[in-house]
Amino acid sequence: MTTLLYTHPACLEHDTGFGHPESPARLTAILNALRAAPFAALEWRDAPQATAEQLTRIHPPAYVERIFARVPRQGHFALDGDTILSPQSGEAALRAAGAVCAAVDTVLRREASNAFCAIRPPGHHAEPNQAMGFCLFGNAAIGAAHARAVHGLKRVAIIDFDVHHGNGTQAAVERDPGYLYISTHQAYIYPGTGHRGERGIGNIINIPLLAGSGSTDLRHVWRHEIEPALREFKPQLILISAGFDAHHMDPLAELNFSEDDYAWLTRRILEVAADHCAGQVVSILEGGYNLSALAASVAAHVKALMEAPARDHIP
Amino acid sequence: MYEFLKYEVRDAMTADPIAIGPNARLREVEEIFENHDFNGVPVVDDQRHLLGILTKFDLLKAFSLDAHALAPHYDTIMEQPAEAVMTRDPVSVEPRLPLSRLLQKLVEMRTKSLPVVENGLLIGIVARQDVLKALRRATIQHEIPLHQDSPS
Repeated sequence: MTTLLYTHPACLEHDTGFGHPESPARLTAILNALRAAPFAALEWRDAPQATAEQLTRIHPPAYVERIFARVPRQGHFALDGDTILSPQSGEAALRAAGAVCAAVDTVLRREASNAFCAIRPPGHHAEPNQAMGFCLFGNAAIGAAHARAVHGLKRVAIIDFDVHHGNGTQAAVERDPGYLYISTHQAYIYPGTGHRGERGIGNIINIPLLAGSGSTDLRHVWRHEIEPALREFKPQLILISAGFDAHHMDPLAELNFSEDDYAWLTRRILEVAADHCAGQVVSILEGGYNLSALAASVAAHVKALMEAPARDHIP
Repeated sequence: MYEFLKYEVRDAMTADPIAIGPNARLREVEEIFENHDFNGVPVVDDQRHLLGILTKFDLLKAFSLDAHALAPHYDTIMEQPAEAVMTRDPVSVEPRLPLSRLLQKLVEMRTKSLPVVENGLLIGIVARQDVLKALRRATIQHEIPLHQDSPS
């Protein structure tokens, strides 16, 4: 079975302004890496636009309208100090959320084993009613809600290994037992949420890591916290909020993951997916701001997706 | 070295140092650091009562990652007033303190300079370089070399 790559040229046109770390160059670096020979078997697909129905499963219609109303005809509009709109931002955001929904559809229809959505703007900081932290729409939450609503899934897990806590995803799913949200992130940095005590209705697991944490810590929390929780939940689909800014070369944080760690973690997630949900995994790009570290980490992650173990059973 | 033991802080300090008010913007402080070889600048009120000290370390700390923004914003941070990031109630020394005692303090605290305060008012600042200079001055003039080869 194949691994799909969803992306769209509009995601390169979302312009955050001079010097902004969440730049189109991030996606260019990723796509260039994925055009190399080892990725020849990747099946590239154009992301469709998300529909209003898909967006409003997470965001109130008035919020969606407000975002589009602020997209400037030219230049930039700053929603906050971090979160910038340019003329193509609305289109890029639609393609980003649309990529996740399309990937969920294709994987759940068993046309592919798994998928990676190489998209921007990222989504996990966007709360139902608040854009922030480079994020406009909650791509992962929108994909999870789509899987529940359209495919009738009862249990969708979201694993978020971006170095920042996914406050937006958490806010979207914390009152619904059909979702399990697990996040590893660096403690005390942006956005300041993600404490262990934030447990939702028992469906949120926050694992803050201290600055300087690396491979050993990741393996420890996987074995003792993430894997047991994931297996107990018995997910029917696993979404990954795949940020690569916990890499030891990233300028916006101080965790010390490596490309090998991302490959290792991806393989572990795929093993659980093979046991519980026929390997059905959709991974979604979030952060990662050192271009070469980002490209190498995504390459390691996608390579692991392409080498996913065979499905043990079809539930 | 005996001559050095007679020195007091007031003999080595820079008197009437440049100081800033609590509302000075970090942008102005940065400009002071650009133009002078200071590691820190004292923060005083209108009567020159010492309120705090703002060092390059404090300025760096203002840019370290925290929960406020995904990436620190240079312009926003540089518009903050000195009192937002200064070190309050800083350690200070009196002008009559023996310089040898000050040297000890600088070493123990690993600090680069200390404000000199008399009756609560800032009157000077004394830095590592001032002490080094005083050491050289004291010994060049008065120290007798330990092994003097005298012609027989």
